[in-house]
Amino acid sequence: MNTYNPITALAVFFALSILAFLFFRPYRGWFWLIRNSSVSNDKIVVEDVLKLLYHNENADKHLNINDIIRTLKYNDRTILECINKMSDHELISIQGDNVKLTQSGSDYALRIVRAHRLWEKFLAEKTGFKEAEWHERAERMEHELSKVDADNLSSQLGNPQFDPHGDPIPTNTGKIAKIKGIPVSELPIGTIGRIVHIKDKPEIIYKQILAENIHIGSVIRIMEKTSARIEFHSEGEAFVLAPIMAGNITVSVLEKDVVFEENLARLSILKENETAKIIGISKEIRGDSRRRLLDLGFVKGAEVQIDLMNPLGDPKAFLIKGTSIALRKNQASKILIQKD
Amino acid sequence: MFNHTLMDTKKIDHIISLSNDLRWQIGDEFHDNLAEGIYADAAEIVKDSVHKKDEKGTFRIDAKIDKIITSRIWGFPLMFLILAFVLWLTIVGANYPSAMLSGLLLDTVHPALKGFAAAIGMPWWLDGFLIDGVYLAVAWVIAVMLPPMAIFFPLFTLLEDFGYLPRVAFNLDHLFKLSGAHGKQALTMSMGFGCNAAGIVATRIIDSPRERLIAIITNNFSLCNGRWPTQILIATIFVGALVPASYSGVLSLAAVIAIAVLGMVFMFLVSWGLSKTVLKGEVSTFNLELPPYRPPRFWKTIYTSIIDRTLIVLWRAIVFAAPAGAVIWLISNIYLGDASLAAWLIDSLDGFGFLLGLNGVILVAYIVAIPANEIVIPTILMLTVLVTGISAGEGAGVMFELDSVSATGDILRAGGWTLLTAINLMLFSLLHNPCSTTIYTIYKETKSLKWTLVASILPVIMGFVVTFLVAQIWRLWS
Repeated sequence: MNTYNPITALAVFFALSILAFLFFRPYRGWFWLIRNSSVSNDKIVVEDVLKLLYHNENADKHLNINDIIRTLKYNDRTILECINKMSDHELISIQGDNVKLTQSGSDYALRIVRAHRLWEKFLAEKTGFKEAEWHERAERMEHELSKVDADNLSSQLGNPQFDPHGDPIPTNTGKIAKIKGIPVSELPIGTIGRIVHIKDKPEIIYKQILAENIHIGSVIRIMEKTSARIEFHSEGEAFVLAPIMAGNITVSVLEKDVVFEENLARLSILKENETAKIIGISKEIRGDSRRRLLDLGFVKGAEVQIDLMNPLGDPKAFLIKGTSIALRKNQASKILIQKD
Repeated sequence: MFNHTLMDTKKIDHIISLSNDLRWQIGDEFHDNLAEGIYADAAEIVKDSVHKKDEKGTFRIDAKIDKIITSRIWGFPLMFLILAFVLWLTIVGANYPSAMLSGLLLDTVHPALKGFAAAIGMPWWLDGFLIDGVYLAVAWVIAVMLPPMAIFFPLFTLLEDFGYLPRVAFNLDHLFKLSGAHGKQALTMSMGFGCNAAGIVATRIIDSPRERLIAIITNNFSLCNGRWPTQILIATIFVGALVPASYSGVLSLAAVIAIAVLGMVFMFLVSWGLSKTVLKGEVSTFNLELPPYRPPRFWKTIYTSIIDRTLIVLWRAIVFAAPAGAVIWLISNIYLGDASLAAWLIDSLDGFGFLLGLNGVILVAYIVAIPANEIVIPTILMLTVLVTGISAGEGAGVMFELDSVSATGDILRAGGWTLLTAINLMLFSLLHNPCSTTIYTIYKETKSLKWTLVASILPVIMGFVVTFLVAQIWRLWS
C-alpha cells in the first residue's frame, strides 16, 4: 500500500477509461474494427457487384469493369479478383470490357434485393430505428440473410409486396411488380394522388424529403407548379418542394370520386374546450403502434377533445369515446382532425 | 388414392398462387383500410344503439380532482408529499412489528433451537450450519423484510386502485420522455422503493418493449426496503455525529434522502444512456389510459397485495436467503491453514476495498449477501468482529445486530471505519448488483440472459467507479 497515491490511482483510472472508450465506442471502436475486418469480405463484394449490375441493367445502363471499380468503395484489386471469380462461376459474362449479368447472376441479385427490401420492411414495421437509418442497416443485413431466412422473414411480415420506400419486393420465385405512377414533378395542378414511392437514392435528397415529413401512402393534391417550385397539400399541411425533390416522389393518380379532405389539422394543436372530429392517422405511424391507436378508439369520425393539460406541457390527455387517453405530442401530431 | 392427393396438392398450390396474385393486385393498404373501416362502422353502430345515462354528475367530481392533481402548482408537491408519507409510514410503522418478529425469531426461537440441538446431542457443525447459518438468515430476512412490505404494498395498491398512480405517470411523463423512458416507469420506480423484484414485475404495465427493458434495468436504482435500514443506520452513526446532537437527526435524514434522490438521478442518466445506445431501435410507443376515480376496494386490495406481492417476493427471498446463511456460516468456520476462509477472502479483497474507500469486510459481506440486502449489516458486524477479534456477538458465522446504535458504531470504528467508509458504503448500497431474488425476477420477466447480465453487472460497475472517484477525491482533499 506504500506506492498508493490518489493522483496515480486517478491517472490510471482515466487512462483505462480512455482506452476502454477507444476500444468499444460504437462503430469506430478498435474492437469493432478488428472484428469486422476479420470477416471475409469477398461475399459482400460479389453481392454488391451483382446488385450494382442489376440496378443498372434495370435502368438500361451497361457497365464496364472501370465503372464498377469507380462506383464501389472497395480496393481495386479485391474487386478485380471478385469479378474474375464471378465470371468463373458464370454469374456474369464479360464481353470485351462490358460486364453483363447471366441468368444465375440475375437470380442471385434478385435474392439480395429481396433480402434488402424485406429487411427494410422489417425495420419499419417491427423496430424503432429512424427512417434515415433503414437503408444503411439493410445494406449490412442483406449479406447475412440466407434464402430461408428471407422466406421466414417474409411470411412473418405477411408476405409484403412493397418495402417502406414503395419499391416492390421480389417474390421467392423471382417475380417483381412494376411501380405504376407518375413523378410529382410531372403532375398537372389539381391532381389528387397517393404517394407510392420515394427514391432512397441519392441519399442527400432522400434525407431532405424525410425531413419534410412526407410519407408513402399519404394522399396529396397539387396546388401550384412553376419551374422553380411545386406546392402540394397533404394531411393538412402545405409542402413546397424543388422540382428535383418532387421528381423523386412517385404518385399514383386517384381518379374515381375521391374526397380530398381540406382544412385538416393535427390533434396536437387542439386547444382546451375545443372539439374536433378524427379524420385519420398519418401513414407515418405503422405496425403495432397504429393498431394500438385504432384499438384505443382513434378512428375516423370519432369525437375528440382535451381532457387534461399537463403541468409540464406534455403529454396531454384526450377524451375519446368517454375514456381519457394521454398521448405525447409527437404522437398527437400524427392524428389528423377537423375542428368543429 | 395417390392420384387424388396429387390433384389436391395441385389445387392447393393453385389456390396459394392465386391468393398471392390477388394480394399483389389489392395492395398493401387494403388491410389497414379494412381494419379502419370496421372500427369506424362499429363506432357508428355504437353511437346509434347504445344510450348512456347522464353521467355528468360524477364526471364533474373526477374533473375537479384531476384539475388539482395535475395542476402546475399542486401537482408535484402533492406527489412528493404522498410518496414521502407512504415511505415514512412504511419505515416507522414497520419498526414495531419488525422488533416483535426479531424478538420472537432471533431472541426466543433461536436460543430455543440451540438448546434443543444441544439436548439431542447434535454435532456442533450441523447445529451451526443449520441453526446459526440457514435458520438465522431466513429469520433475519423475514423479520426485516415482511413488515415493511406488508405495509408498503397495500398502501401502494390502494393508491393504484383509487386511480391516483396513472395521474402520477401522466404528470411525470415529460421528464421520463427526455431520458427516453415511459411515464409509467415513475410507478415501477416508486414500487421499487418497496422491493425491486416487485417493481420489476410491475413493469408489465409498460406495453412498449424498449421502455419496459429500460424500466427493468434501472429499477435497481430505487432504494428498496432491504436497503433503507442500512442507509438509516449508517447515516445515524457516522453522518449524524458530525453535528450537535439536536441537529443530527435532521442531517442523517437529509443524507438518506440525498442517497435516494441520487438513485433517481442515476435512474434518469442510465435510462438516457441505454435509450441512446444498446436499446436504440426497439419499438417505442406511448399511450396511457387515465381511468375514472373509484373508491378502492379496501379488503380485496389488502388481500391481493399481501398475497400477490408480499408473500411471493418473501418466499423467493427465503429460498435465496437459506443458502446464503449456510455460506456465511461455512466461510467463517472452514479453516484454511490458520485462518478461516472468510479471513482469507477479506484479506485478499482489502486492497481493492481500500481503493474504493471501503474495506474487505464490506466487499465480502456484499458477495455473500447477494441473496438479500437485509443481512448485509449483520454480516458486516459478524465479519468485523471475526477479523478484529473484539469481544462481541455470538461467535464465528453467527450474524448479529445490536440494539444500541452507539455500540454498533463502536464495533465499526474498531474495524477501521471512517466517515469516508460510511459515505461510500451508503453509495455502494445504492449502486450494487440487485439481490438474487431480483436477478431471478429479471430473468423471468425478460427471458433473456443478456439483459439479466446487463441489469446485474451495470450497477455494480457504476458502484465501483463512483466509490473509487469519491475515495480518491476525498483523500486528495484531506
